[in-house]
Amino acid sequence: MTLRLGRHSFADDATLMMAIVNRTPDSFYDQGATWAEDKAFERVALVVEQGAEMVDIGGIKAAPGAEIGAAEEKDRVVDFVARVRESYPGLVISVDTWRAEVGSAACSAGADVLNDAWGGADPELVDVAAEHGAAIICTHTGGATPRTRPYRVEYRDVVRSAIDDTVAYAERALAAGVAKESIVIDPAHDFGKNTFHSLELTRRLGEMVATGWPVLVSLSNKDFVGETLGLPVGERLTGTLAATAVCALAGARIYRVHEVVETRQTVDMVWSIAGRRPPRRAIRGLQ
Amino acid sequence: MTRFVVVPGALALLPSYGGIEDPVADLRAAALAAVRWLGGAPRVVASAQGGRVAAALVSEVPEAASDGVLVVANGSAKRTEKAPGHLDERALAFDDALRSALLAGDLSHLDQDLALELWADVDSLVWLGQEVDLDPATVQVDYDDDPYGVQYWVVRMEGVWR
Repeated sequence: MTLRLGRHSFADDATLMMAIVNRTPDSFYDQGATWAEDKAFERVALVVEQGAEMVDIGGIKAAPGAEIGAAEEKDRVVDFVARVRESYPGLVISVDTWRAEVGSAACSAGADVLNDAWGGADPELVDVAAEHGAAIICTHTGGATPRTRPYRVEYRDVVRSAIDDTVAYAERALAAGVAKESIVIDPAHDFGKNTFHSLELTRRLGEMVATGWPVLVSLSNKDFVGETLGLPVGERLTGTLAATAVCALAGARIYRVHEVVETRQTVDMVWSIAGRRPPRRAIRGLQ
Repeated sequence: MTRFVVVPGALALLPSYGGIEDPVADLRAAALAAVRWLGGAPRVVASAQGGRVAAALVSEVPEAASDGVLVVANGSAKRTEKAPGHLDERALAFDDALRSALLAGDLSHLDQDLALELWADVDSLVWLGQEVDLDPATVQVDYDDDPYGVQYWVVRMEGVWR
Protein backbone atom coordinates (compact mmCIF):
# COMPACT_ATOMS: atom_id res chain seq x y z
CA MET A 1 0.00 0.00 0.00
CA THR A 2 1.23 3.51 -0.78
CA LEU A 3 2.31 5.30 2.37
CA ARG A 4 1.35 8.88 3.05
CA LEU A 5 3.23 10.32 6.00
CA GLY A 6 1.97 13.84 6.47
CA ARG A 7 3.44 15.90 3.62
CA HIS A 8 5.27 12.96 2.08
CA SER A 9 4.25 9.95 -0.02
CA PHE A 10 6.14 6.76 -0.74
CA ALA A 11 5.63 4.02 -3.32
CA ASP A 12 4.29 0.70 -2.15
CA ASP A 13 7.65 -1.05 -2.54
CA ALA A 14 9.68 1.58 -0.68
CA THR A 15 11.40 0.86 2.62
CA LEU A 16 12.11 3.69 5.02
CA MET A 17 14.78 4.37 7.60
CA MET A 18 13.39 6.18 10.64
CA ALA A 19 16.36 7.49 12.61
CA ILE A 20 15.97 7.89 16.36
CA VAL A 21 16.68 11.36 17.67
CA ASN A 22 16.45 11.61 21.45
CA ARG A 23 15.82 14.92 23.12
CA THR A 24 16.34 13.19 26.44
CA PRO A 25 19.13 13.20 29.02
CA ASP A 26 18.77 9.53 29.84
CA SER A 27 17.78 7.26 26.89
CA PHE A 28 19.31 3.80 27.10
CA TYR A 29 21.41 3.83 23.95
CA ASP A 30 23.00 7.27 23.84
CA GLN A 31 22.81 8.29 27.51
CA GLY A 32 21.89 11.87 26.68
CA ALA A 33 24.35 12.40 23.84
CA THR A 34 21.78 14.48 21.95
CA TRP A 35 20.09 16.06 24.95
CA ALA A 36 21.38 19.52 24.02
CA GLU A 37 19.32 20.94 21.17
CA ASP A 38 22.34 21.65 19.00
CA LYS A 39 23.58 18.08 19.50
CA ALA A 40 20.17 16.76 18.52
CA PHE A 41 20.21 18.98 15.45
CA GLU A 42 23.66 17.68 14.51
CA ARG A 43 22.25 14.17 14.82
CA VAL A 44 19.43 15.10 12.39
CA ALA A 45 21.96 16.51 9.92
CA LEU A 46 24.03 13.32 10.19
CA VAL A 47 21.16 10.89 9.64
CA VAL A 48 19.83 12.94 6.73
CA GLU A 49 23.27 12.76 5.14
CA GLN A 50 23.25 9.01 5.79
CA GLY A 51 20.02 8.71 3.83
CA ALA A 52 17.35 8.47 6.52
CA GLU A 53 13.93 9.32 5.12
CA MET A 54 12.48 9.93 8.58
CA VAL A 55 13.47 11.07 12.05
CA ASP A 56 11.66 10.02 15.20
CA ILE A 57 12.03 12.75 17.79
CA GLY A 58 11.34 11.78 21.38
CA GLY A 59 11.34 13.84 24.56
CA ILE A 60 10.83 11.05 27.08
CA LYS A 61 12.78 7.84 27.43
CA ALA A 62 10.73 4.66 27.30
CA ALA A 63 12.02 3.19 30.55
CA PRO A 64 10.79 4.28 33.99
CA GLY A 65 12.38 7.40 35.44
CA ALA A 66 11.67 10.93 36.58
CA GLU A 67 8.18 11.99 35.59
CA ILE A 68 8.10 14.38 32.67
CA GLY A 69 4.88 16.35 32.35
CA ALA A 70 3.27 17.40 29.10
CA ALA A 71 4.62 20.95 29.42
CA GLU A 72 8.20 19.75 29.85
CA GLU A 73 7.79 17.24 27.00
CA LYS A 74 6.55 20.00 24.71
CA ASP A 75 9.50 22.19 25.71
CA ARG A 76 11.83 19.43 24.65
CA VAL A 77 10.13 18.57 21.38
CA VAL A 78 7.97 21.25 19.77
CA ASP A 79 10.44 24.02 18.98
CA PHE A 80 12.94 21.42 17.87
CA VAL A 81 10.40 19.98 15.42
CA ALA A 82 9.87 23.47 14.01
CA ARG A 83 13.61 23.94 13.55
CA VAL A 84 14.00 20.59 11.77
CA ARG A 85 10.93 21.30 9.63
CA GLU A 86 12.37 24.58 8.46
CA SER A 87 15.81 23.14 7.68
CA TYR A 88 14.69 19.85 6.11
CA PRO A 89 11.42 20.29 4.22
CA GLY A 90 11.83 16.89 2.52
CA LEU A 91 12.33 14.95 5.73
CA VAL A 92 9.51 13.01 7.39
CA ILE A 93 9.29 14.13 11.00
CA SER A 94 7.84 11.68 13.48
CA VAL A 95 7.31 12.48 17.12
CA ASP A 96 7.50 9.72 19.69
CA THR A 97 4.76 10.57 22.16
CA TRP A 98 1.65 9.03 23.65
CA ARG A 99 0.11 12.38 24.67
CA ALA A 100 -2.50 14.04 22.44
CA GLU A 101 -1.58 17.47 23.78
CA VAL A 102 2.07 17.03 22.81
CA GLY A 103 1.17 15.43 19.47
CA SER A 104 -1.07 18.36 18.56
CA ALA A 105 1.60 20.96 19.32
CA ALA A 106 4.19 18.92 17.43
CA CYS A 107 1.96 18.63 14.36
CA SER A 108 1.34 22.37 14.42
CA ALA A 109 5.12 22.82 14.44
CA GLY A 110 5.51 20.57 11.40
CA ALA A 111 5.47 16.91 12.49
CA ASP A 112 4.16 14.41 9.92
CA VAL A 113 3.81 11.28 12.04
CA LEU A 114 2.73 10.49 15.58
CA ASN A 115 4.60 7.45 16.83
CA ASP A 116 2.47 6.20 19.67
CA ALA A 117 4.91 3.78 21.23
CA TRP A 118 2.52 3.13 24.11
CA GLY A 119 -0.30 1.72 22.03
CA GLY A 120 -3.16 4.15 22.45
CA ALA A 121 -2.71 5.09 26.11
CA ASP A 122 -4.22 8.48 25.29
CA PRO A 123 -7.38 7.79 23.26
CA GLU A 124 -7.42 11.30 21.78
CA LEU A 125 -4.15 10.89 19.92
CA VAL A 126 -5.99 9.50 16.88
CA ASP A 127 -8.17 12.60 16.77
CA VAL A 128 -5.06 14.79 16.73
CA ALA A 129 -3.59 12.78 13.84
CA ALA A 130 -6.86 13.08 11.92
CA GLU A 131 -7.16 16.80 12.57
CA HIS A 132 -3.63 17.51 11.32
CA GLY A 133 -3.58 15.03 8.42
CA ALA A 134 -0.74 13.24 10.15
CA ALA A 135 0.12 9.56 10.07
CA ILE A 136 -0.05 7.39 13.16
CA ILE A 137 1.97 4.40 14.30
CA CYS A 138 -0.22 1.91 16.13
CA THR A 139 1.86 -0.17 18.47
CA HIS A 140 1.19 -3.23 20.62
CA THR A 141 2.07 -3.09 24.29
CA GLY A 142 -0.30 -5.68 25.67
CA GLY A 143 -2.04 -2.92 27.56
CA ALA A 144 1.07 -1.74 29.38
CA THR A 145 1.03 1.62 31.10
CA PRO A 146 3.48 4.10 29.55
CA ARG A 147 7.03 3.89 30.86
CA THR A 148 6.65 0.59 32.66
CA ARG A 149 8.75 -2.54 32.26
CA PRO A 150 7.10 -5.88 31.59
CA TYR A 151 6.67 -7.98 34.72
CA ARG A 152 5.60 -11.61 34.34
CA VAL A 153 3.59 -10.76 31.23
CA GLU A 154 2.35 -13.78 29.32
CA TYR A 155 0.21 -14.21 26.22
CA ARG A 156 -1.69 -17.18 24.93
CA ASP A 157 -0.32 -16.16 21.52
CA VAL A 158 1.74 -12.99 21.43
CA VAL A 159 1.47 -12.62 17.65
CA ARG A 160 -2.31 -12.99 17.76
CA SER A 161 -2.43 -10.38 20.50
CA ALA A 162 -0.17 -8.02 18.52
CA ILE A 163 -2.28 -8.40 15.39
CA ASP A 164 -5.60 -8.05 17.18
CA ASP A 165 -4.56 -4.99 19.16
CA THR A 166 -2.74 -3.11 16.41
CA VAL A 167 -5.43 -3.79 13.82
CA ALA A 168 -8.09 -2.68 16.29
CA TYR A 169 -6.07 0.47 16.94
CA ALA A 170 -5.64 1.01 13.19
CA GLU A 171 -9.40 0.69 12.69
CA ARG A 172 -10.02 3.11 15.52
CA ALA A 173 -7.64 5.59 13.84
CA LEU A 174 -9.46 5.07 10.54
CA ALA A 175 -12.82 5.68 12.18
CA ALA A 176 -11.44 8.86 13.76
CA GLY A 177 -10.60 10.15 10.28
CA VAL A 178 -6.95 9.27 9.79
CA ALA A 179 -6.34 8.40 6.13
CA LYS A 180 -6.00 4.69 5.46
CA GLU A 181 -2.63 5.15 3.77
CA SER A 182 -1.39 7.01 6.85
CA ILE A 183 -1.79 4.20 9.37
CA VAL A 184 1.13 1.94 10.28
CA ILE A 185 1.25 -0.96 12.75
CA ASP A 186 4.18 -1.93 15.00
CA PRO A 187 4.49 -5.10 17.10
CA ALA A 188 6.70 -3.10 19.51
CA HIS A 189 9.50 -5.47 20.39
CA ASP A 190 10.35 -5.43 24.13
CA PHE A 191 7.29 -3.31 25.01
CA GLY A 192 5.16 -5.40 27.35
CA LYS A 193 7.15 -8.43 26.22
CA ASN A 194 9.92 -10.69 27.32
CA THR A 195 12.68 -11.81 25.01
CA PHE A 196 10.83 -14.98 23.97
CA HIS A 197 7.87 -12.85 22.90
CA SER A 198 10.05 -10.53 20.82
CA LEU A 199 11.82 -13.46 19.17
CA GLU A 200 8.49 -15.04 18.26
CA LEU A 201 7.18 -11.75 16.87
CA THR A 202 10.29 -11.52 14.73
CA ARG A 203 9.97 -15.10 13.55
CA ARG A 204 6.28 -14.66 12.67
CA LEU A 205 6.38 -11.05 11.45
CA GLY A 206 4.94 -12.19 8.11
CA GLU A 207 1.60 -12.71 9.86
CA MET A 208 1.51 -9.02 10.76
CA VAL A 209 2.49 -8.02 7.22
CA ALA A 210 -0.34 -10.23 5.93
CA THR A 211 -2.89 -7.94 7.63
CA GLY A 212 -2.22 -5.50 4.79
CA TRP A 213 -1.32 -2.63 7.13
CA PRO A 214 2.25 -1.39 6.60
CA VAL A 215 4.49 -2.65 9.39
CA LEU A 216 7.13 -0.71 11.31
CA VAL A 217 9.72 -2.53 13.38
CA SER A 218 11.77 -1.04 16.18
CA LEU A 219 14.54 -3.51 16.93
CA SER A 220 17.58 -1.33 17.33
CA ASN A 221 19.92 -2.45 20.14
CA LYS A 222 16.99 -3.62 22.25
CA ASP A 223 17.16 -5.92 25.26
CA PHE A 224 15.78 -8.93 23.38
CA VAL A 225 18.86 -8.71 21.16
CA GLY A 226 21.13 -8.22 24.14
CA GLU A 227 19.62 -11.10 26.12
CA THR A 228 19.66 -13.42 23.14
CA LEU A 229 23.35 -12.86 22.50
CA GLY A 230 24.45 -12.03 26.03
CA LEU A 231 25.70 -8.61 24.98
CA PRO A 232 25.42 -5.15 26.55
CA VAL A 233 24.17 -2.00 24.83
CA GLY A 234 26.90 -0.94 22.42
CA GLU A 235 27.58 -4.47 21.20
CA ARG A 236 24.20 -5.31 19.72
CA LEU A 237 24.51 -4.07 16.15
CA THR A 238 25.13 -7.47 14.56
CA GLY A 239 22.19 -9.00 16.40
CA THR A 240 20.03 -6.01 15.50
CA LEU A 241 20.88 -6.41 11.83
CA ALA A 242 20.13 -10.15 11.92
CA ALA A 243 16.66 -9.41 13.34
CA THR A 244 16.30 -6.62 10.79
CA ALA A 245 17.04 -9.05 7.95
CA VAL A 246 14.34 -11.45 9.14
CA CYS A 247 11.78 -8.64 9.37
CA ALA A 248 12.78 -7.31 5.95
CA LEU A 249 12.31 -10.72 4.38
CA ALA A 250 8.84 -10.79 5.91
CA GLY A 251 8.11 -7.39 4.36
CA ALA A 252 8.43 -4.75 7.10
CA ARG A 253 8.33 -1.26 5.56
CA ILE A 254 9.74 1.12 8.19
CA TYR A 255 12.78 0.54 10.41
CA ARG A 256 13.27 2.63 13.54
CA VAL A 257 17.03 2.69 13.97
CA HIS A 258 20.08 4.10 15.65
CA GLU A 259 22.45 2.98 12.84
CA VAL A 260 21.07 4.24 9.51
CA VAL A 261 23.82 3.15 7.13
CA GLU A 262 24.12 -0.43 8.34
CA THR A 263 20.37 -0.93 8.52
CA ARG A 264 19.80 0.55 5.06
CA GLN A 265 22.36 -1.86 3.58
CA THR A 266 20.79 -4.80 5.37
CA VAL A 267 17.27 -3.94 4.28
CA ASP A 268 18.30 -3.21 0.67
CA MET A 269 20.16 -6.51 0.46
CA VAL A 270 17.24 -8.51 1.83
CA TRP A 271 14.69 -6.57 -0.24
CA SER A 272 16.69 -7.53 -3.35
CA ILE A 273 16.97 -11.17 -2.25
CA ALA A 274 13.20 -11.13 -1.87
CA GLY A 275 12.91 -9.83 -5.44
CA ARG A 276 11.36 -6.50 -4.43
CA ARG A 277 14.33 -4.31 -5.37
CA PRO A 278 16.70 -4.60 -8.35
CA PRO A 279 20.43 -4.63 -7.65
CA ARG A 280 22.09 -1.22 -7.67
CA ARG A 281 24.20 -2.03 -10.71
CA ALA A 282 24.65 -5.51 -12.17
CA ILE A 283 27.19 -6.36 -14.87
CA ARG A 284 28.88 -9.54 -13.62
CA GLY A 285 28.35 -12.25 -16.21
CA LEU A 286 26.15 -9.93 -18.29
CA GLN A 287 28.84 -8.22 -20.38
CA MET B 1 19.62 -0.37 -50.49
CA THR B 2 18.78 -2.22 -47.33
CA ARG B 3 19.69 -0.91 -43.89
CA PHE B 4 21.77 -3.04 -41.53
CA VAL B 5 22.66 -2.47 -37.88
CA VAL B 6 25.17 -4.34 -35.76
CA VAL B 7 24.71 -4.43 -31.96
CA PRO B 8 26.44 -6.58 -29.33
CA GLY B 9 24.67 -9.41 -27.51
CA ALA B 10 25.36 -8.00 -24.05
CA LEU B 11 22.83 -9.54 -21.68
CA ALA B 12 22.95 -6.35 -19.60
CA LEU B 13 20.72 -4.90 -22.33
CA LEU B 14 17.88 -7.22 -21.25
CA PRO B 15 15.24 -5.57 -19.02
CA SER B 16 15.15 -8.69 -16.83
CA TYR B 17 18.72 -7.92 -15.79
CA GLY B 18 18.07 -4.25 -15.15
CA GLY B 19 19.41 -2.56 -12.02
CA ILE B 20 18.71 0.75 -10.35
CA GLU B 21 21.64 2.12 -12.35
CA ASP B 22 22.25 1.08 -15.95
CA PRO B 23 25.84 -0.13 -16.47
CA VAL B 24 25.44 0.07 -20.25
CA ALA B 25 23.44 3.28 -20.59
CA ASP B 26 25.54 4.70 -23.45
CA LEU B 27 25.54 1.41 -25.33
CA ARG B 28 21.80 1.05 -24.84
CA ALA B 29 21.13 4.58 -26.10
CA ALA B 30 23.27 4.03 -29.20
CA ALA B 31 21.71 0.63 -29.91
CA LEU B 32 18.15 1.93 -29.54
CA ALA B 33 18.83 4.90 -31.80
CA ALA B 34 20.25 2.58 -34.45
CA VAL B 35 17.31 0.16 -34.19
CA ARG B 36 14.96 3.12 -34.59
CA TRP B 37 16.86 4.05 -37.76
CA LEU B 38 16.21 0.51 -39.03
CA GLY B 39 12.49 1.22 -38.89
CA GLY B 40 10.91 -0.77 -36.13
CA ALA B 41 10.35 -4.40 -37.12
CA PRO B 42 13.60 -5.63 -38.62
CA ARG B 43 14.68 -9.11 -39.49
CA VAL B 44 17.05 -10.38 -36.80
CA VAL B 45 20.23 -12.37 -37.47
CA ALA B 46 21.66 -13.66 -34.22
CA SER B 47 22.36 -16.64 -32.01
CA ALA B 48 19.47 -17.76 -29.79
CA GLN B 49 20.83 -15.71 -26.89
CA GLY B 50 21.66 -12.71 -29.10
CA GLY B 51 18.14 -12.97 -30.52
CA ARG B 52 16.71 -12.28 -27.07
CA VAL B 53 18.80 -9.13 -26.84
CA ALA B 54 17.65 -8.07 -30.31
CA ALA B 55 14.01 -8.74 -29.46
CA ALA B 56 14.32 -6.66 -26.29
CA LEU B 57 15.78 -3.72 -28.23
CA VAL B 58 13.16 -3.96 -30.98
CA SER B 59 10.38 -4.03 -28.39
CA GLU B 60 11.58 -0.63 -27.14
CA VAL B 61 11.05 1.21 -30.43
CA PRO B 62 7.79 2.06 -32.19
CA GLU B 63 6.58 -0.73 -34.42
CA ALA B 64 6.72 0.02 -38.15
CA ALA B 65 7.12 -1.78 -41.45
CA SER B 66 10.81 -2.31 -42.14
CA ASP B 67 13.04 -4.30 -44.43
CA GLY B 68 16.08 -3.57 -42.26
CA VAL B 69 18.24 -6.24 -40.65
CA LEU B 70 19.46 -6.26 -37.06
CA VAL B 71 22.68 -8.22 -36.68
CA VAL B 72 23.89 -9.25 -33.23
CA ALA B 73 27.65 -9.62 -32.98
CA ASN B 74 30.58 -8.41 -30.93
CA GLY B 75 34.34 -8.60 -30.59
CA SER B 76 36.46 -10.48 -28.10
CA ALA B 77 35.59 -11.00 -24.41
CA LYS B 78 39.27 -11.50 -23.56
CA ARG B 79 40.58 -7.95 -23.88
CA THR B 80 41.72 -7.27 -20.29
CA GLU B 81 42.66 -9.15 -17.14
CA LYS B 82 39.23 -8.28 -15.71
CA ALA B 83 37.42 -9.38 -18.88
CA PRO B 84 35.04 -12.36 -18.64
CA GLY B 85 37.56 -14.55 -20.48
CA HIS B 86 40.64 -12.94 -18.87
CA LEU B 87 43.37 -11.43 -21.05
CA ASP B 88 44.35 -13.04 -24.32
CA GLU B 89 47.19 -11.13 -25.98
CA ARG B 90 45.67 -11.74 -29.41
CA ALA B 91 42.35 -10.08 -28.60
CA LEU B 92 43.23 -6.46 -29.34
CA ALA B 93 44.68 -7.23 -32.77
CA PHE B 94 41.73 -9.45 -33.58
CA ASP B 95 39.27 -6.69 -32.70
CA ASP B 96 41.31 -4.12 -34.63
CA ALA B 97 41.07 -6.29 -37.71
CA LEU B 98 37.35 -6.82 -37.15
CA ARG B 99 36.83 -3.06 -36.79
CA SER B 100 38.68 -2.45 -40.06
CA ALA B 101 36.55 -5.08 -41.78
CA LEU B 102 33.35 -3.43 -40.54
CA LEU B 103 34.51 0.01 -41.65
CA ALA B 104 35.46 -1.34 -45.08
CA GLY B 105 32.17 -3.20 -45.39
CA ASP B 106 34.20 -6.29 -46.20
CA LEU B 107 33.40 -9.20 -43.90
CA SER B 108 34.65 -11.97 -46.19
CA HIS B 109 37.87 -12.87 -44.36
CA LEU B 110 36.86 -13.24 -40.70
CA ASP B 111 38.77 -15.90 -38.74
CA GLN B 112 35.96 -17.85 -37.10
CA ASP B 113 38.29 -20.31 -35.34
CA LEU B 114 40.21 -17.50 -33.64
CA ALA B 115 36.93 -15.75 -32.85
CA LEU B 116 35.78 -18.87 -31.00
CA GLU B 117 39.00 -18.92 -28.98
CA LEU B 118 38.67 -15.23 -28.13
CA TRP B 119 34.99 -15.46 -27.17
CA ALA B 120 34.01 -13.17 -30.03
CA ASP B 121 30.55 -13.58 -31.55
CA VAL B 122 31.00 -13.11 -35.31
CA ASP B 123 28.82 -15.80 -36.93
CA SER B 124 26.18 -13.24 -37.91
CA LEU B 125 28.86 -11.02 -39.47
CA VAL B 126 30.11 -13.94 -41.55
CA TRP B 127 26.55 -14.45 -42.73
CA LEU B 128 26.28 -10.74 -43.52
CA GLY B 129 29.49 -10.87 -45.57
CA GLN B 130 28.18 -13.81 -47.57
CA GLU B 131 24.70 -12.44 -48.24
CA VAL B 132 25.17 -8.70 -48.74
CA ASP B 133 27.34 -6.30 -50.70
CA LEU B 134 27.88 -3.55 -48.13
CA ASP B 135 28.59 -0.01 -49.26
CA PRO B 136 31.60 1.25 -47.20
CA ALA B 137 30.53 4.85 -47.81
CA THR B 138 27.42 4.23 -45.69
CA VAL B 139 29.17 2.78 -42.64
CA GLN B 140 28.57 4.82 -39.48
CA VAL B 141 30.02 3.78 -36.10
CA ASP B 142 27.78 4.95 -33.25
CA TYR B 143 29.54 3.11 -30.43
CA ASP B 144 33.02 1.59 -30.19
CA ASP B 145 34.20 0.69 -26.70
CA ASP B 146 35.01 -2.13 -24.29
CA PRO B 147 33.86 -0.91 -20.87
CA TYR B 148 33.88 -4.41 -19.36
CA GLY B 149 36.58 -6.13 -21.38
CA VAL B 150 34.26 -7.08 -24.23
CA GLN B 151 34.46 -5.19 -27.52
CA TYR B 152 31.11 -3.65 -28.43
CA TRP B 153 30.13 -1.86 -31.60
CA VAL B 154 26.96 -0.24 -32.74
CA VAL B 155 27.29 0.22 -36.49
CA ARG B 156 24.83 1.36 -39.17
CA MET B 157 25.42 0.47 -42.79
CA GLU B 158 23.61 -0.09 -46.06
CA GLY B 159 24.00 -2.66 -48.80
CA VAL B 160 22.32 -4.76 -51.45
CA TRP B 161 21.45 -8.44 -51.29
CA ARG B 162 23.62 -10.68 -53.43
